[in-house]
Parts: sequence; C-alpha cells; structure tokens
Amino acid sequence: MIETRELTKRFDEFVALDGVSLHVRQGSVYGLVGPNGAGKTTLIRHLAGVYRQTSGEVLVDGQPVFENNAVKERIAYIPDDIFYFMQASTRDMMAFYRGIYPRFNMERYNALKDAFKLVDEKRAIRRLSKGMQKQSAFWLAMCMMPDVLLLDEPVDGLDPIMRRQVWSLIMEDVVERGMTVLVSSHNLRELEDVCDYMGVMDGGRLVFERSVTELQENLVKVQVVFETEDAQLPPELEVLHREKAGRIHTLIVRCSPEEARERLGVLKPLLLDTIPLSLEEIFIYELGGVERGIKDILL
Amino acid sequence: MIRLDFRDSRPIYEQIMENLRKLIVSGAIAAEEKLPSVRELATKLAINPNTIQRAYRELENEGYIYTVPGKGSFAAPAGTLSRQKREELFRKLEEAAVELMYAGVQPPDILAHIEAVLQKEEKKSE
Repeated sequence: MIETRELTKRFDEFVALDGVSLHVRQGSVYGLVGPNGAGKTTLIRHLAGVYRQTSGEVLVDGQPVFENNAVKERIAYIPDDIFYFMQASTRDMMAFYRGIYPRFNMERYNALKDAFKLVDEKRAIRRLSKGMQKQSAFWLAMCMMPDVLLLDEPVDGLDPIMRRQVWSLIMEDVVERGMTVLVSSHNLRELEDVCDYMGVMDGGRLVFERSVTELQENLVKVQVVFETEDAQLPPELEVLHREKAGRIHTLIVRCSPEEARERLGVLKPLLLDTIPLSLEEIFIYELGGVERGIKDILL
Repeated sequence: MIRLDFRDSRPIYEQIMENLRKLIVSGAIAAEEKLPSVRELATKLAINPNTIQRAYRELENEGYIYTVPGKGSFAAPAGTLSRQKREELFRKLEEAAVELMYAGVQPPDILAHIEAVLQKEEKKSE
C-alpha cells in the first residue's frame, strides 16, 4: 500500500534520507522507530505529499503522492506539531475538510462527539491544550475515512485512557475497512501492542523492517542445565548471546522454540526451558548495538 | 474479561492465550460457547488484530478452541487437547512433583492431593 524506492532527500548539503526503501502492506499497522533525528518525520512528510524527494520514488497504492490529489484525498496525516488556521475551531475545520475530502463522513463526526466529549468543538483549536489538540486532530482524521493513516508521534500529549480509546478506534477501521497505518515513535514500548510490522530508522536509513511474528519466531531465550560441565552445544545452533550463572546457561538462539528444544534435547539436559523474548530484547540482540543510537528507542 | 499487562515481558499473544485458556478451563467460557470475534477483541483491547488472530490460531493448534469458517471461534469440549499440549502439561506436573519431593512432601501426600483435585473436578462436571 505504501512504498518508497531508494528515497533520498537532501536539504542543501544535509542528507536527511539516504536511499530508504520502505514497504507497508495494506491493512497492516507499521511501526517506524528510531532515535531523534533518524529521519522519521521527514519520511512521513514525503508519504503525506508535503515534501518533494530529491531522488527515488514515493508511492501510495502504486501512485506517486506529490501533488496527486486523487491519492492524497485517501490519506490522513496527523503531524507531531499540529497546525490549523488561526482561530479555526474543530467545527470550522470539519467544514473545511468536508470540502476537500470527498469521503468525509458527517455521521461519524457526530457519533465521535461522544468519544471526544472533552474537546470543545466550538473553541479555537489553537487555544486548546496540546492533548486536546491531538484529540481534535484524531477526531477529524477518522472522519476522512482514510485508506492510509499517517501518525507522527501520535500519543505525545495523550493520557493513557485516551491513547487506548484512540487506538481502539483505529483498530476498528483496520479490521473493518482494511485501513493501513504507519505510526512513528522514538519509543518501542509504545508500539509493541499495536503494530504487526516494524521498521527501524537511524541516520536517514531504514536499518531493517520485519513482521513482528517473524521477529518473535526467530529468536528464543533458552535456559539449560547440563549434567556435565563440559557439554558441547550443537554447532548448527546459532547462539547470539550466552550467559552462565552457576550451572545454568542462558542462551539467545536464532531459531524457533521447538527447534531449540529438539536440538538441545538430544544432549539430555537436566533442565531445558524456552522463554519467549520481549520485543525490546529482540531488538537488542538483533541489532546488537551495532547501530548507533538504537539504545535510545528502548528506554 | 481479558487482561493484559504491558510490563509483563511475555509477548501479548501469549498473554491472550493464557487468559483464554484459564477462562475455558475454569468453565467461565463454556464448551461450544462462541469466543469474542477478532474484531471485537482488537478494538476492545486496542491491539493489532493479527496478534489476536495468532493467539486464536495457536489455541486452535493446542486444541482449546475450534473455528467454523464464517461463524467464528468456539471453545472446544473437554478432551480435545493436542498430544503436544498434553505432553507439556504432564511435564509441568512432573516438575511440580519433583519440587514437592524436594520440599519434603511425602509421595503418598502428593498422590492424595492429586486424587482430591481429580475428585472435585469430576463432581463439578457431573
């Protein structure tokens, strides 16, 4: 649904994006993580048609985005720094968006009044608090019935209850209409429960992208105790990390839990336990600190 | 009904599986009862529908639930667990027994305890 090919963006001498090839499937929720300055916002601005790329391609549903209204009217974008007309209230913006987005859904606008009841729709958005501005932006975006929803640091300023409510609304559209979501954050924890795909950015590059299932199935933590001290691990086992406390070996192994059990089971260990890793741990071992700044997203 | 703890380091799909297993085994979800749809759970818990789907798929492999295409997922009647799952449960029983022995509990007491649990469960299902 969303694709970039070798996307590069330069601001004068500064290379903000360096050959980014991103793939987001229709109906998936894609989490883009990376430290500050990795290029997440710049990338999203290209996907929203705000920036024109220096080179490469930016495609949504197979079509270039920049200056392409037919594509852009299917995209809703909630930037980190929300920007509206001076003095415009949520209701004024609703009237404005109705004229621009052909699919703007009035019924939904009225139905969602209840979900965002703390937002005063007649008050100038700029005079609302930051959290309220975000809520107002979500309210309007959900009424556009977008096929693609772009969220830049969306939960910044939202309280946990609102965060949940907003994600619940988003998930409904993902399941019911197959809406595609791309969401950025500098914090992995924040995205762990909502995303099914992950992309990691650093220094203007996409370091890797993978499905969450794939990430979870390919690494496993094993705790094992052998009868003898000098037991040799099977050489075909790819061990990324090992620790020893007393007689207990803790291994991080690149394979499925079943495979680890089978491979190590033949050594007749006294104890053999496989423990699934949290996404956070997976990132630590997958990226192995090779990439600078990756630590920052894990905090 | 289903609680997730995001400080828990286990993947979310495992937490959902664990929750549903408990509900089914305790009878809170009766055999042949329909489980909440993927859509319902995804919106209610505000988590990705694929995560729910995965939990359902693995529960089906373990034999706790079954799916009727177009109708949804249902709690399976007792006695349908897969061989692997049964082996896993026996392993857990083994571990617990070994630990109890280590704690100094005498084998007859362990057996008596299991006996009592089984009798209580049998009464419940009558």
